[in-house]
Amino acid sequence: MMEIGALALALGLVLAVYAVLMSLVGGLQRRRDLIASAEHAAFAVWGVTVIAVAALLHALVIHDFNLEYVASYSSSTLPWNYTITALWGGQKGSLLFWLLILSSISSIVLLQNRDRNRDMMPYVTAVLMTICVFFLMLLNFITPPFERLAFTPHEGRDLNPLLQNYWMQIHPPSLYTGYVSCAVPFAFAIAALVTGKLGDNWIRTTRRWTLFAWFFLSLGNLFGAEWAYLVLGWGGYWAWDPVENAAFMPWLTCTAFLHSVMIQEKKDMLKVWNMVLVMLTFLLTIFGTFLTRSGVISSVHSFTQSGLGPFFIGFLAFMGVISVALLIWRLPLLKSENELDSLVSRESAFLFNNLVLVGIAFAVFWGTVFPVISEWVRGVKITVGPPFFNKVNAPLGLMLLFLTGVGPLIAWRRAGWKSIQRNLLPPMAFGLACGLGLVISGMRSYWALVSFSIVAFVLTGIVMEYYRGVRARQAVMGENAAVALLHLIAKNRRRYGGYIIHIGIVMMFAAITGTSVFKQEQQVTLSQGQTLSIGGYTLRYDGIEQESTPHIAYLRAKVAVMDGPKLLEVLKPEKRFYKKPEQPTTEVAIRSTLGADLYLVLGSFDDDTKLVTLLAYINPLVSFLWYGGIVIAFGTGIVILPGGAREPAYAAAQLAKQAVTE
Amino acid sequence: MTRKKRFLIGAALLVGSVAYLVYAGVRESSVYYLTIEEFLVKKESLTGEGVRVAGRVRAGSIDKKTTTAGTDLRFVLGDFQKEGGVPVQYTGILPDMFGEGRDVIVEGKYTRDGVLRAQTVMTSCPSKYEAEAGKPPAERSAG
Repeated sequence: MMEIGALALALGLVLAVYAVLMSLVGGLQRRRDLIASAEHAAFAVWGVTVIAVAALLHALVIHDFNLEYVASYSSSTLPWNYTITALWGGQKGSLLFWLLILSSISSIVLLQNRDRNRDMMPYVTAVLMTICVFFLMLLNFITPPFERLAFTPHEGRDLNPLLQNYWMQIHPPSLYTGYVSCAVPFAFAIAALVTGKLGDNWIRTTRRWTLFAWFFLSLGNLFGAEWAYLVLGWGGYWAWDPVENAAFMPWLTCTAFLHSVMIQEKKDMLKVWNMVLVMLTFLLTIFGTFLTRSGVISSVHSFTQSGLGPFFIGFLAFMGVISVALLIWRLPLLKSENELDSLVSRESAFLFNNLVLVGIAFAVFWGTVFPVISEWVRGVKITVGPPFFNKVNAPLGLMLLFLTGVGPLIAWRRAGWKSIQRNLLPPMAFGLACGLGLVISGMRSYWALVSFSIVAFVLTGIVMEYYRGVRARQAVMGENAAVALLHLIAKNRRRYGGYIIHIGIVMMFAAITGTSVFKQEQQVTLSQGQTLSIGGYTLRYDGIEQESTPHIAYLRAKVAVMDGPKLLEVLKPEKRFYKKPEQPTTEVAIRSTLGADLYLVLGSFDDDTKLVTLLAYINPLVSFLWYGGIVIAFGTGIVILPGGAREPAYAAAQLAKQAVTE
Repeated sequence: MTRKKRFLIGAALLVGSVAYLVYAGVRESSVYYLTIEEFLVKKESLTGEGVRVAGRVRAGSIDKKTTTAGTDLRFVLGDFQKEGGVPVQYTGILPDMFGEGRDVIVEGKYTRDGVLRAQTVMTSCPSKYEAEAGKPPAERSAG
């Protein structure tokens, strides 16, 4: 079976190289037969990848510990669901899993587009297959997943306990799907440059894919945050670790792209900028994989271990040079017909939003690679920690939030004073009033006041937009409010779905503000019966509880959570001692309410003195992070789903008129 | 082209403020990142500075006292082969993977009395796990 897997990967490499060459030759010579042959090869790459994945899964399921990968990342006591997810628990498997997603997406793109976009498709195929070639080279020569051991250990070393968690089952697939789908708009951008068909056709063709990529990048980041919150036991969800930054940077540039694309569609502007954003996003996904996989930045030890680094750098440079060269070559064709009409317009709000997003991406990138750069330039390694990222990104983030509110409310082209007065001033006034209210009720943190005021401003703006839309429909179509609301969204899904996404983003900003400004933290060592107070709760330590299974031994502290004398619930933060790789992990206990989480960690238990060290955190508003994610998912669903009838032209014109006079 | 100019000024202001924020951020929050070998060579000049030192917990050097006042931990951060090292003092919760012979990263200040007072102690991965998704809390991972 293993031989089949290795053979499949070797065959995959040959097929992918063939697909690249044939689609390029076929595209340049306009030979339909070669192009078709390349497409078939691309489908075949998917086929052999599926075989290789099946072979590895099979080996995991039957516990073939002779296989180095199976021995390293699974064991016979590992629960079956984690045995499956061990497929992406290690380096080699996750690169294979990556290839599976990439080749699947390539095949879907080919099926969707080979008849519709004939002239671009050879180059799209060539780009997607070039990326496949890169991953196949790694899998064939650098990190072969089907390596055998010289002997067969009778037990595997097991999956890292930190990965034996629900969120780690769904976080990597989401993030990878997001990463990999960024290759689709990139491939079309390159194809547009090569063919010179630089209208917005390639953008319309890839719009859903871009949203799809953005959606999964968002989910991936969020699931990762949830995992960190629940598993790592330090009371937070984001630590500006290089690996987190790796997933955050392409999300930022992808967000920028989704916004600036609208200006290209509407005004035929920013073509070069959009190209740059697509390229940047794709390169950042590869860079992100490189950061995650090679450990160059975060760890002092692993660079030499994997040998992946130089390959990734080489591939990045290769793709980067090709992108830039094509871009420069086509620069004359990318000239914009139009110019900005006014600094006070929706276009310029979008442009500034783009600049801020890219600015944040740049700051994150700089902070992440700073140790490497400082070592080159000054010979000493200097790191910048979370304070750097917080300091730089807090003001930029607030500016972004503000623009989120301004963008939808300000008119296209040129916003006159009247329209600003009508659209922008009421929500701004409301935002200020909220800020004032918070000051009166005793809030003194400058950051929080600014943030919450802008949150109120943005939310009011969105509600106002909905309200006006509904009123306009009621007036013109005579619908009742609920029907009007449903129709309003259904007929303008892009716009109103987008607003829903904004609501989700705003909720997240509120959560981030709450946790970073108002977090409380206490660490105490207690003997049985002693208490601690935090955030209005009284916590009483009621002793230790132990339990053991063949896989894990558990140690739980019983902590009574009380509101004054009233017992609310008993939380049991625990330590787990995994038996196979002898490793303890921390399982936090959380009492979650809408306002704040009580987050409890068992720090340590001293067997001699029977003293327990507990860490208690109050994380205000943190649940809005997860609810915000759900709202974003809902909004994206509305925008992305196919179908939806457009309003007949006459009714649309009436509605527009009504919306303006309303 | 006054409109264009006005827009360019706006953009330049924005780019400038990003650049300033990055510059100021780096200046205020940068920390030297050294291996214990490098640290031992330069330690005198680093007194009072924020440092991040990677080394290994010397076997037999861990001294841990838990009282109701908290846990006070002392250990020697040594290098990978030789003798010697720097004493580290830390109060707080230890990462799960901390132990003798483990590779750790200590962040803190080197004080006049020759002790590295740690604010954080992070464990780096045991060699059998690669630097990737399965990293210990020290190198929190999202990926």
